[in-house]
Amino acid sequence: MLRALFEWVDVMPSSISLRESLNGYVYLLTAHVVSMGLVAGIIGYWDMRLAGMALKWVPVSKVKSGLFPWMYAGVAVNAFTGFLMLYSQPMRYYPNFWFWLKMGLLVVVAANAAYFHLSIEKTVDEWEHDPVAPFKARLAGYVSLVFWVGVITTGRMTAYSGLVPQWWIDLGLG
Amino acid sequence: MSLQPFFEWMGGLRFSAFFLESVWPTPIVQCIHLVSVAVFVGALLLVDLRLLGQGLKETPLPQVARAAEPWLFGSFVVLVVTGIPQMSSTALKQYYSPFFWWKMEMLLLGVILTVTIRRKMASTEESQLGPVWPKVVALTSIALWTSVTIGARLIGLLS
Ligand code: HEM
Repeated sequence: MLRALFEWVDVMPSSISLRESLNGYVYLLTAHVVSMGLVAGIIGYWDMRLAGMALKWVPVSKVKSGLFPWMYAGVAVNAFTGFLMLYSQPMRYYPNFWFWLKMGLLVVVAANAAYFHLSIEKTVDEWEHDPVAPFKARLAGYVSLVFWVGVITTGRMTAYSGLVPQWWIDLGLG
Repeated sequence: MSLQPFFEWMGGLRFSAFFLESVWPTPIVQCIHLVSVAVFVGALLLVDLRLLGQGLKETPLPQVARAAEPWLFGSFVVLVVTGIPQMSSTALKQYYSPFFWWKMEMLLLGVILTVTIRRKMASTEESQLGPVWPKVVALTSIALWTSVTIGARLIGLLS
């Protein structure tokens, strides 16, 4: 079913014209890497604050209110350029092991962030001045850091579509 | 003086051949380089946003700068260490790439700005800085490092 969706996009005139444009991919990937720095860079310091690795003396809510608007701006550019790359070459990414692993890791970081914001963060007023946050907040920070490293790494590895486990090749998606 | 002999020498090293002949070292080094870019850009932005009157605006500037500095410096060292094998194993491609030289020029300017004016400014009491210069320095810093990143990515895409 997913394959049908990707194949359908693949023959859409707008997908084809973006795919065949001279520099579309160059602009998109470059903007994607620059905005990645903004997103991952800022989230990294937010996570390190939670984990107790950096900015320990800055109240947690100030880190959030000061940096998140910039992070969201980065997310907008990053998601938009990423989506357009996928849209323009769906059948390049469909059989790509690293691409799917990256999508999976993004789901994990999103779920971790959602869980944090909906649960532990509710009590942030009580501990936001503590240089070392409560265990659950630190854990959320560490989990996010580790999985963001995974997202960046699998993003870079997407270029190595042949360097993947044998069982993936055996699936015969390509 | 041309640097071409130097790049030819680098490309001929056993060290370079190792990266070309083996499968995983190059992608691993590239991944570490890219993760370090994120750490570096984050550390940079903490201070540049602060100089722009944004970001952690309620925290004193010198304190933000002190928090960012070890990460900025540490990630830079990792960038250099993981940049060298990528450069030496594709030495002539880099030598003939205008984007490589663009990156290195912007990098040099970025480093100079960061360790001189920007560093001095970040450790100064804010009331003495006035409203304009901190913003000029921050925007210059962001422009230079964005140019480094764009140049770097274009080496791979267009050279
Ligand atoms: C002396 C230090 C550095 C050296 C020697 C170096 C060298 C390199 C080389 C040779 C490449 C591979 C280009 C290619 O052939 O595709 C690269 C990629 C890259 N570099 Fe650096 N680099 C250094 C520092 C930095 C810094 C400070 C930044 C950013 C702030 C940076 C950002 C990047 C980016 C974004 C890429 C492309 C990432 C990728 O797609 O793999 N580099 N670097």
